[in-house]
Amino acid sequence: MDREQVIKALKDSGKWGHKYSFWVVYFCTGCGIIEIPPVITSRWDAERFGIIPVATPRQANLFLITGYVSLKTLRPIIRTYEQMPEPKYTVGFGSCPINGGMYWDSYNTIKHLDKYIPIDGWIAGCMPRPEAIFIAITHLWTMIDKGMANAYKKYRKQYKYYRRNQEMALGELQWPPLYPIDEDE
Amino acid sequence: MKMNKKLAEELELTFKDIEVSTPEDTKIEIFAHKEQVLTILRFLKNKGYNHLALISCVDWIEKAEFELVYILTPYLQDYEAYKKIGDIHLKMRIPRENPETGTVISIFPNAEPYEREIHELFGIKFAGHPRLTHLLLERDYEIPPFRKDFDTREYVEDVFGSIPPIKEEKE
Repeated sequence: MDREQVIKALKDSGKWGHKYSFWVVYFCTGCGIIEIPPVITSRWDAERFGIIPVATPRQANLFLITGYVSLKTLRPIIRTYEQMPEPKYTVGFGSCPINGGMYWDSYNTIKHLDKYIPIDGWIAGCMPRPEAIFIAITHLWTMIDKGMANAYKKYRKQYKYYRRNQEMALGELQWPPLYPIDEDE
Repeated sequence: MKMNKKLAEELELTFKDIEVSTPEDTKIEIFAHKEQVLTILRFLKNKGYNHLALISCVDWIEKAEFELVYILTPYLQDYEAYKKIGDIHLKMRIPRENPETGTVISIFPNAEPYEREIHELFGIKFAGHPRLTHLLLERDYEIPPFRKDFDTREYVEDVFGSIPPIKEEKE
């Protein structure tokens, strides 16, 4: 960090803290999780970037959705996302969460993940290389600096529509709404 | 004489109305009726075929029939003995309309998840099965998804295509 950055970091120390301490919730949805072990171990050592996998969503602030999402996995994904403390960032990893990928006509796989939870950015590819994760992370740093990584605010604002889509896909949900829903609007 | 030829002859002598063929040296194919399956399985289990490897299902839509395939192998035999006697495919057909058959859990307890899966994906009822509930899927399907007349693209358009995207917020 050069001297000009120091003043910037002191002005916005919150952003500075969020940027360099991404704690990733260790959640395997599909085949994409096979890229995570080389990323977090000595070959690509993600801890240089402040990325640590953690066991519980209560400690995490970055959610990597790695690979296709079946209907059965969507339910724990929503629950995990709602348990994470704010500010929280989500990145869809691989082509399957973007538009279904090779499972575009599967009967049991959801096609567009951003209909159910908000996504800050995508990493395209099948599979993306571990380097792509670091490119995505540095993009996310820029987005946080500019105040563009605000998907969790969108989730709070448009929770009514997200909840409606989740109920359309999964039927009745077994947990209460995270935010109050105004029916009048 | 090969071991499997010997067993095939013994099967033909013991049971009536079954077709036994030996397409390979290490394989016996049996076509049987629905009612005979339990007795044949019990007979083969006493002969040393004590491992039910898989129950598979085939949808013959032109003939309006489902075919259930029970694959048996002798477990805990040494490899040389296994190479001599091989494995057994027991095939059985049931009509496609209201398909129902009996469970084989009483002979092979490990048949339970296979039968649950076939019930879920093909809609075949197994009479006497303790719990025919969902194993892999989340939703209820009008046509079970592994049948040949299930149109996946139409289903995907109906279900996932009808979910609207979230609008971008205006600032």
